[in-house]
This record gives sequence, structure tokens and C-alpha cells, in this order.
Amino acid sequence: MDFFKSGLKTVLGAPEPGHQPSGAEIVERLVDRVNNSTLLEDRRDACRALKAMSRTYRVEVGAQGMDTLKQVLELDRADNETINYALDTLNNVMSPTQFEEEENNPRVPMNIGEQFTEMFIKDHHNIQLVLDLLDEYDFRVRLSTVQLLTSLLTNRPKDIQEIILVKPMGVSKMMDLLGDTREVIRNETLLLLIKLTKGNANIQKIVAFENAFDRLFEIVSTEGYSDGGIIVEDCLLLMLNLLKNNSSNINFFKEGSYIQKMLPMFNTPEETEEAGWSPQKVSNVHCMLLIVRTLVSPSNSAQIITSCQKIMKNVGLLDALCNILMSSGVPADILTETINTVGETVRGEVTNQEFLGNVMAPSNPPRPAIVVLLMSMVNEKQPFSLRCAVLYCFQCYLYHNEMSQAGLVQTLLPSSTDMSCLTSGQLLCGGLFSSDVLSNWFSAVALMHGLIENPVQKEQLLRVLLATNIGSSPVSLLHQCTLLLQQTTKLKSKVALLMLLSQWMSHCPAAVAAFLRAPGGVGWLVAQTCANEHDDNEVLLQGLCALLLAICLHFNDDSVENYSKESLRQLLTKRIGLEVFSSKLSEVSRHELYNKAAKHPQLRAKLPADVLIDYEFCRLFKVLESVLIQSLSGPQQNGASSPAPERGSPDSGTLEQYKTLIRQQDARLQELMAQLEGLLQQNQSLQGALNDSLSANSLLKDENTLLKAQVSAAKSVPSGVQVPTPSQDDVRVEYEAKLQTLAAEVARLSSELKTSQEGQKSMGEELEKMRKDQDDLLELLADQDTKLNDYKLRLLSLGQAVDDDTPAPAQPPT
Amino acid sequence: MAYAYLFKYIIIGDTGVGKSCLLLQFTDKRFQPVHDLTIGVEFGARMITIDGKQIKLQIWDTAGQEAFRSITRSYYRGAAGALLVYDITRRDTFNHLTTWLEDARQHSNSNMVIMLIGNKSDLESRREVKKEEGEAFAREHGLVFMETSAKTAANVEEAFINTAKEIYEKIQEGVFDINNEANGIKIGPQHSTAGGAAGAGGAGAGGAAGGGCC
Repeated sequence: MDFFKSGLKTVLGAPEPGHQPSGAEIVERLVDRVNNSTLLEDRRDACRALKAMSRTYRVEVGAQGMDTLKQVLELDRADNETINYALDTLNNVMSPTQFEEEENNPRVPMNIGEQFTEMFIKDHHNIQLVLDLLDEYDFRVRLSTVQLLTSLLTNRPKDIQEIILVKPMGVSKMMDLLGDTREVIRNETLLLLIKLTKGNANIQKIVAFENAFDRLFEIVSTEGYSDGGIIVEDCLLLMLNLLKNNSSNINFFKEGSYIQKMLPMFNTPEETEEAGWSPQKVSNVHCMLLIVRTLVSPSNSAQIITSCQKIMKNVGLLDALCNILMSSGVPADILTETINTVGETVRGEVTNQEFLGNVMAPSNPPRPAIVVLLMSMVNEKQPFSLRCAVLYCFQCYLYHNEMSQAGLVQTLLPSSTDMSCLTSGQLLCGGLFSSDVLSNWFSAVALMHGLIENPVQKEQLLRVLLATNIGSSPVSLLHQCTLLLQQTTKLKSKVALLMLLSQWMSHCPAAVAAFLRAPGGVGWLVAQTCANEHDDNEVLLQGLCALLLAICLHFNDDSVENYSKESLRQLLTKRIGLEVFSSKLSEVSRHELYNKAAKHPQLRAKLPADVLIDYEFCRLFKVLESVLIQSLSGPQQNGASSPAPERGSPDSGTLEQYKTLIRQQDARLQELMAQLEGLLQQNQSLQGALNDSLSANSLLKDENTLLKAQVSAAKSVPSGVQVPTPSQDDVRVEYEAKLQTLAAEVARLSSELKTSQEGQKSMGEELEKMRKDQDDLLELLADQDTKLNDYKLRLLSLGQAVDDDTPAPAQPPT
Repeated sequence: MAYAYLFKYIIIGDTGVGKSCLLLQFTDKRFQPVHDLTIGVEFGARMITIDGKQIKLQIWDTAGQEAFRSITRSYYRGAAGALLVYDITRRDTFNHLTTWLEDARQHSNSNMVIMLIGNKSDLESRREVKKEEGEAFAREHGLVFMETSAKTAANVEEAFINTAKEIYEKIQEGVFDINNEANGIKIGPQHSTAGGAAGAGGAGAGGAAGGGCC
């Protein structure tokens, strides 16, 4: 502290004696100094001091120094140390955590960091400033920048995400830091990216596009997979963020063969079994299981689920998961999550379900894994969450798979009873009638899932007989359920049995008949439905009883005399009343736990008290509710025909409407026809007129030609004879004009001829002259020739050799 | 499953020109006349063969709407190829090409192969942009050009594959740094050991030397 004080002294100068400056004053002077100092060293020192004060005097530093610090980030970028102090100060000011220095300071509001963050991000340019600093390679600066961004994101995640998203290269820059060789920065970047990607699909996609999965798997593998430290967990958390509810990224993950890369995560070497699992390893594997579940979550599209499930089976991931399931020493929460994961990996995918059905547990004697799991489900001593997980896994095993459903019911049928080994059917029956309420519930629901949309198994299950007491005759399973329903005092068991019976009897008249034959069943249901208690759970129970009664009515094939469709309807309307009945029925979907269960196939109960309604039952209820109420309110005895007369009354009005409409249209049609008739006639007469005028026209034409011929004949006769009719006069004028032009033409041509003749004559003369010239020249040439010969002879006589061929080099002109 | 190379593509262009339909036709070989607006970016993938080598195409189909433009920009940098799509029945989509191209050139790596695509060639009667105009634009800006129909699948396969061929040639020529994944190219698992041994010289040189030996 002394050091700090002396440091302050050097920065601020010695205080005036006797005056102890307050924190606010010191901050003010420091900010002043940063603003006004011309020397970098001074600004740096002031920043350092501000940083030191920013924890204790967070409000003061934030309020007075925010703008100044932003300025530093902009102007002093060249000095890493100063930048670093400014970043750290800002980080302290906007930190989401409370410092110990301010624990006892009532003046500091709880969300002070958030308030300052809000101020800081008002100007988006500030975020850009911080993002730009990511380019700085300096260790301290980079680290502080990442930490500052993390703080900002913690305080105002949505705002910052939106700002960063529209900054070009914003996300990419952060992704680049993941490749930083300095581990501290890489690790801090991971934390930053986890915050950045939370709940923002667009950012998640960009991060995935920037090769995030490759990077993360690289880190995970170098850190030793599940045996790695917290950094592995961070990587997995980031992956989880990228995949959650992001079908585009899931698709990318699947197509990029990353499912295969998860495999080493689940390969647990033998020796760890004895060593036990470290808490970190538990977290790592847990995260990895969550990633697997995100890929095959029932909330994804069916296409994605199926293709992921197939890949998981093909690359051996399902196998690895089943190995964890069957190995010893696995911590309970990992085991629970593995069971859930295996469930979702096989859900609705026949090959995977078959694979799970064939997995054997390494027990003595070896038992199917399914049986071992069900043993845990009906075992009171197992942890609650584990039992819930087994139920879910078993439901997934049966989901949309008639084979596994048949397999379950088969184990209960008398023909195949092999007393020596435990079967799933036996376990469920045991659970159904055990004294443990949860076992009752789990078993009833599990059994119910064996019947969903499977009419064959509904009838098969009717054949199941139970030997209750030694000596007494065996009782059918349905009968026993009915009895138990009346006897038990526990709500959970009642609800479970009602759900099982509803599923069993819906769309199965044989089951309805069997129920109606069982003693006391209907009476008990009517009594329950009529009950007038207002506790939430009681109301639910009344509703479920009403539902079962309605099922008895709707799916009744009149095979039981006392309870034919009609007599049941009479009973219900008289004893309960239609309105009361339907209002009781509608109460079911108002129950809190109903709505909770309807949301997700997996039972999401934290406590045994939350266990009451099953997801598939909700679906059944939704489908049946309106159908049942309709069939109940139909006054006629035939449920199916009831809607028809109902439709009659409102329709007559509509019918009348249509009739008038048709009448109107008819009238209009008539009118239009008449119009058409008129138009046709008009057309015909016009056609006639046209023909007449056409023929008249041709007649006139002929006449015209005749006249023309006469005119031309008249022209050849001497002009005096002509009788000047007006038309002939015109023609005559015309012809005269023509004649005139022709005469002019002739004159022009003759003159032309004359000139050309003259031209020819002069040319002839010229030719003559030239011929004469040529004769003269020829004469001259002959003259010259003789002279030349003379000279030659003379030269020869003079003894000069003369070459005959070559003319003399210089031929002298004469 | 195994591939020699992996290429990252993006598809860009105005809204409603048929980007998502092109992708669907290429990956699923089907046409969906009514398609929801793409929000942000969607992903698709397919394997193709070039020169006897398996090549995996990872394709990011972007939203054409202006509101998503800033998000789309984040995808340019890491892509090796881009399909720039316009609609031959809408002149305005052709007019906007320059803006798209500027955006792409500014944010992408300089080697990114851009293929210009005039889509909806099946709607000849409503054509507003002549094929020659598309060709001229492509020539002027150094792009490869093609008219396609996502509906009839005409040229769709070719558009994606020719882009891949172009990238592949650039790799062979050594233009692309294949060891830098930021370029949108990844060497497949069976390749990577050989490539790693050859070092930064790249697989192209290694392949040529191998050919010489034989």
C-alpha cells in the first residue's frame, strides 16, 4: 500500500499538508492528467494509477474516466503498456463481478458493471475499437482485450452479439485467436466464444464455418480427450452451444464426419475403472453425452435424427455407449446420462433398437441389457434419476417398433413362460403390483408403451393370465389392473393404471369388453367422475376416469349386454350429465404436470412428486378428447352417424342461399342467351348487306373498265371529234400533259444525239490527224534505218567491229 | 466417406433468384417450388468426383435479403468458391451483380473462384436478361458463366462441378495454399499424411514428382 501511495504521490505531486484528498478528487485529477499531458509517460502513469483505483473507486473512475479511456484506446495505440492499463481499467469498471474492495461499500449498486457496459456500447464505434485491438499481437493487450469482450458479453449478451455480428470480420477475428499458440490466450478465447455463441444461431453458424469443430477436436485430442483438464470441458461446452437447436450446424457436424471424432471420448481404458473417475472426467464425459443427445434430440427434424442415429451405429458410437452402460465403476450421474443418450440414439431407428435388444450384460448368467436396466427401474434402492432414465430408454426402445413391442408382450404370454430366467415382462408385472408406488408408475407406463398404435399387442395382452394366490384360479392382467385400480389408495398408482387402461382400451373393442365384464369397474369410474373434490390432483383423477368411461362408450362393440353403447350413454347422461362430464374431461389438459409432460418425450422430473403424467398419454388424450365428446353428445344410438343430422340444420340456410344464387345465375343465363340470339341475327343481316355491296362493287368495276376502254378508243380518233364529257376531259388533259413531257423528252434526246454526233465527228478528224502523224513518223523511221545501215557499212569498212544485236551504246539522235 | 479434398462454397445473389433451390437440386436432386426465405445461412453437402478424385463440397447457402448482408460477409473469407446467382426473368437481379461482386472481392481471398449463374432458364417466355449479356458480364469480370434451371436441373450439376474443377486446377497450379484452411480448402484424411511429409511444397509438386518416377 505504501508503494501505491508513493506511486500516487509521484503522479499527483505531493498533497497539500493537512488536506487528505478524497477518492473522487484523485480520480478527477488523474483523468485530467490523462487528458492533458503531452508526454506519453505521464499519460501512461496516470492510466496505471487509474487502473489501481478502479476497483475501490469503480463508480468514480467509470463516471469520470470512461470517455478518456476510450480516447486512449484510439490515440495511444502505439504504446502497448498504456493501452493495456486502459483496457484493464475498463474491464474493472465494467466487470460483472463484485470486488472484495467494494463488498462493504453500500454506494456501489449491484449491477454497476452492467450500467457502465450499457453506456460503453451506446456508441458502436467503441466495440470496433476493442475489436481492432485483437489484431495486436502483444500478449498483455490481446489477453486484456479478450477479457474485456468477455465481460461485455456477460453483461449485455444480446446487444453485443448483434453489434459484433454486423462488424465485418468481427467473429472471424475471434476465431483466429483460437489458433494462438499461447495457451492462456487460447483458453480465454474459448470462454469468450462460449459467451459469444450462446443463443445466437447466426454467430454459431459463422463460428462453425470458421472451422471451429476442427480446432476444438484438435484441442480436445491434444489435451487427452476425457482425461483432459477443464479446457476439454470448455471446448465441449462451445461445441454444445454451436449445435443446440441449430439444424444447419448439426447437418454440418454430421456431413463433416465429426461424429466419428467423438468416438475416442467414450473409449475408457480398463485401468481407469479401478482408479475411479476424477470430477473433471465426469464433467467432460457428461458434456460429450450432451453433445450426442443434441444431435439425436427428438426435437430435431426426423431426417437429421435418423441419419445421425445411423452414423452413430455404423461408426461404433452406440457400441461404445453400451459398453459404458455395462461396465462397472461408472459414476451414477454418468450412467444415468448414458442411459438417456443410448435411449435417444436408438429411438425410432429399428436397426439401433435391435442392436440394443441384443446387448448382453456381463452378469452370471448373462442377461439382456434391457432386463438388467429394467431391474434397476423397479428397484426402490436405485437413484430416482437413474430409474427415470431407464424408463425413457425403454420407451425409446419400444418407440415405433412393433417388433420390440411384440417381444415385450411375448414374455408375458403363457406359452413362452420359462420360469428359470427373468424377463422384462415379468419385471414389469412385478413392478405393477409391488408396494412401491414409483415402481407401479414406471411399470404401468412402460407396459403402456408396448401397446402404442399396436392393436395386435393390445389383444395379445388380453391373453395374459396371472396366478395371484396359490390355489385360486388365475386372473387376467386386465382384470387384475381393474381390481388394483379400485383398491389402491395412492394417486400415482391410480393415474398410472388409468393411463395404461386408456391406451390399452382405445381402438380395441375386445379390451373394452373385457373391462366391462370385470366386476365393479364401471361403477367405480362413475363414482370417481362424480366426486366433487377440488384438489388439483383429484380433479385430474376425475378427468382420467371420465376419459376411460368415454373410451368404454366410444370403442364399444355392444358385446356386453349390461353395458351396451346405448345403456352406457344413458348412464352417463343421467348420473353425471353431459356438461359436467365434458368439463371434467377438459380438466385433464389443465393440470400443471400434464402440460409439463406434453412438452417433451423424456420425463423431466427432479423429484418423485413430479412424476404423474406420461408424454405419450398426453398425445393420446389430445387425439381422443374431441372425438370422445362428440360421440358422447350424439343423441342417436350410432356414434358414427351422429354428425350427419347435426349438420342438417345449419345447412338448410346455406342451401337456401345456394338456391337463390342458382336462380339468379339461371336468369342471367337466359338473358345472355337472348342477347346472343339478337347478336347472331344482326350478324347475319350484316353479312347479307356486305355480300350485296360486294357484288355491286364488282359490277361498278366492270363498268369502269368498259368506260376506260371507250376513252382510249376515243383518244385515237382526231381530237376534234371528241365529245368533251367531264371525265374524258380530265383524261384528255392528262394525256396531253404526258404527250408534252414525251415531246420534251424527244427534243432533249435528239439534241443529245446531235452533240454526240458532233463529238464523234471531231474524234474522227483527230483520228485522221494522228494517223497522218504516224505515217510521217514511220517514214522518218525508215529513213533513219537506211542511214543507220550506211553508218554500219562505213564503220565496217573502217575496220570497226559492229555487234549487230546490240545497238550502239549511245545512239545519237539525228 | 474419405475424400481427397474438401472445398467450401458459398451461394450469393439477390433474394428470390433460386439459391436455396439450386442447392436443394444439387444435394437432394429435387425441386421445391415454394421455399421459405433463408434466414441467415443454411448448410448443405455433397461428394463429387473430379479427375478420379473424391471431392467433398460443403456449401453455405446465404440469405439474399439486404438485412442479412452483413452476416453474409462473414462467409466470404473462408470460401474457395462462390456461385453468384441472378434471375434471368428479373432484370434488377442482374443489375445488382456489380454490387455483389464488389462485396465478394472486398471480403474474400483473392483466389476465390466465382461462377456467374443465370438461373430459371426454364422460364424462357419471361426472360428479361439475354444470355449474351450474362456472358458479356462474365467476360468483363473474369468469371465463369452458365445458365441453369433449378427446376429442370439443367446445368445445375455442371455449375457446381465446373467450379470445383476450376478450384482443382488452381490447386494443381499451386495458386492456392492448401495448407491454409482459411482459403476454404482442406486436404482429406488419406491425403494429409502424404501432404504433411511433402511439407509446404504442396501435393501438386509431390504428385508431379511421383509421376516422373513411374
